Amino acid sequence: MRQDVDLRVDIGRLTLRNPVMTASGTFGYGGEYAPFVDLDRLGAIVVKGLSLQPSAGNPPPRIVETACGMLNAIGLENIGIEDFVRKRLPFLQRLQTPVIANVYGKTVNEYERLAARIDGVDGIAAIEVNISCPNVRAGGMAFGVDAAVAADLVGAVRRRTAKPVTVKLSPNVTDITAIAKAVVAAGADSVSLINTITGMAIDVRKRRPRLANITGGLSGPAIKPVALRMVWEVARAVDVPVIGVGGIMNAEDALEFLIAGASAVQVGTANFVNPAATEEIIDGLSDYLLKFGMRSIREIIGSLET
Amino acid sequence: MRACRQEAEILWNREIAPGRYRLGLEAPAIAAGANPGCFVMVRASGTGAPLLRRPFSVYGLIEERSGAIGIEILYRVVGPGTARMAACAGGDRLDVVGPLGRGFRLAEPSERVVIAGGGIGVAPLVFLARRLVRKRGGAEGVVAVVGAGCENEVLGVDEFRALGIEPVVTTDDGSCGLQCRVTDPLGGYIERQCPDMVYACGPTAMLRCVAQLASKHRIACQVSVETMMACGMGACLGCAVESTEPGVYLHACTDGPVFDAGRLRL
Ligand SMILES: Cc1cc2nc3c(=O)[nH]c(=O)nc-3n(C[C@H](O)[C@H](O)[C@H](O)COP(=O)(O)OP(=O)(O)OC[C@H]3O[C@@H](n4cnc5c(N)ncnc54)[C@H](O)[C@@H]3O)c2cc1C
Ligand SMILES: Cc1cc2nc3c(=O)[nH]c(=O)nc-3n(C[C@H](O)[C@H](O)[C@H](O)COP(=O)(O)O)c2cc1C
Ligand code: FES
Repeated sequence: MRQDVDLRVDIGRLTLRNPVMTASGTFGYGGEYAPFVDLDRLGAIVVKGLSLQPSAGNPPPRIVETACGMLNAIGLENIGIEDFVRKRLPFLQRLQTPVIANVYGKTVNEYERLAARIDGVDGIAAIEVNISCPNVRAGGMAFGVDAAVAADLVGAVRRRTAKPVTVKLSPNVTDITAIAKAVVAAGADSVSLINTITGMAIDVRKRRPRLANITGGLSGPAIKPVALRMVWEVARAVDVPVIGVGGIMNAEDALEFLIAGASAVQVGTANFVNPAATEEIIDGLSDYLLKFGMRSIREIIGSLET
Repeated sequence: MRACRQEAEILWNREIAPGRYRLGLEAPAIAAGANPGCFVMVRASGTGAPLLRRPFSVYGLIEERSGAIGIEILYRVVGPGTARMAACAGGDRLDVVGPLGRGFRLAEPSERVVIAGGGIGVAPLVFLARRLVRKRGGAEGVVAVVGAGCENEVLGVDEFRALGIEPVVTTDDGSCGLQCRVTDPLGGYIERQCPDMVYACGPTAMLRCVAQLASKHRIACQVSVETMMACGMGACLGCAVESTEPGVYLHACTDGPVFDAGRLRL
């Protein structure tokens, strides 16, 4: 074990033992990866996006590989908050690792009820609000593409819970810093970015979309430069911690995000490619600090020289 | 059955028919838990493209006196991942995760079973036949039909024969065996003999037809299905298959890949 370096980071009120979290929707409810990862070593576990009621998700095919990445249109299939708390949380509560509940709804009221439900639950350290989902009131346009709508939503969630709230930002916007500033003003304790970038793929022989949903979200190495640029912009625009997500496959990728200003990172698609990716990234961060004679990972956060 | 990840040494990677390979991997920990119908996720590319692992059924165990030391995969080259695999040589290493998924339920020795494989779909069925024959101490009551496009694509015949099962062979072009669909002799057999269990793996159109035959004659039927998969272990929810219950999806990697045909909308 590499105990001589300090990987601890602060995400507002939450102190993580290291900056490596799992990205929502890529790590199941945690237990799926127990054969491959020592879950107690992770900085935090962010679980699959939860809704008030169980949700069946989209028809197949739901995923397709594209150049250096993948498209998914899972449709936010999940077991619902009640089954999560009853059936999955007890396993997670036995771990040392903080659990972050990613939530989504179709109306502000659904988000409010989710926040209120989680507020009283032991063993959930924080709430991550996914604002990339369609807002039924606004004709299916995502909550996360309009600063005023996003701020309303986050303010409503904020009033329903005392737990730390992180807001997961959508990259499918013209100016992500405007959304980031709005949700921080509305009470977000931190922001995580980016969610997937909307895309599509076509089977030219059948002249049909490769996903039943036609469009899907792009993830993996293909989106890393975009994610990194957005993290850098947002880290300069807001004064709350930023969590970097998008195409992180190894420790070097994670370091890029930390240097750009992220206080922590989330690892997504990499878990599919290498189920032990998160642990290998944690080890790689320690190695980097040792190699460059630094004692704390905090020394590199936002240390970009321009 | 606890899955693990191994850097497996390639023992052999032989082209047994045009574009069809048998790949032997030294992977004792994976072999220890493997049963018929389970699968492994192979990283074909080291660190480059393609990005995602590819799923393959376990075709058989590589057994030595000390026990199972590895697994065999039977695969067909269809795209970049399988092309990368085909380019590997003995002594190279492949990153493999497994065993994964729920396999076939073995019929009781007294039950008469018929095994139907289409093309590369025989891959999990040879392993199944081996276990069935071992369980009943002989090939009695085990029938196999294998079909393919043409003679070159007919797989598994020698392996079934070695177990004492003489498979009925069909090809689309008549270059080997009967010129018809694999489901034609299968349908005839089911009609005449009314077996207790049908096992099938192959293209979806074939599985649909097999499932209809079995349901018409009220025979239990287990099918192994293919879907796109990203993780293979229940985390991504990308491998959904439609069930007969409206609005309910099953997941090929954790609920399957082997399902009772009656649960699926094929
Ligand atoms: C549980 C399971 C077991 C399998 N067992 C075997 C096996 O034993 N032997 C074998 O040869 N193949 C098997 N397959 C299929 C195998 O996974 C695909 O052929 C492989 O992923 C193709 O990868 P590629 O990069 O070469 O081609 P890709 O570029 O990924 O695909 C080439 C073409 O094949 C189609 N395709 C890709 N993956 C699948 C899939 N999973 N199902 C249906 N069509 C697909 C694509 O749409 C495309 O048209 C199995 C699949 C599953 C889900
Ligand atoms: C299969 C899949 C499912 C996802 N599900 C969710 C989800 O439920 N909620 C959410 O906020 N993000 C979800 N995401 C987005 C990821 O958390 C992450 O933001 C994105 O994939 C970019 O990171 P990556 O390139 O490391 O995968 C999902 C991504 C994938 C690939
Ligand atoms: S392949 Fe990821 S859940 Fe089945």
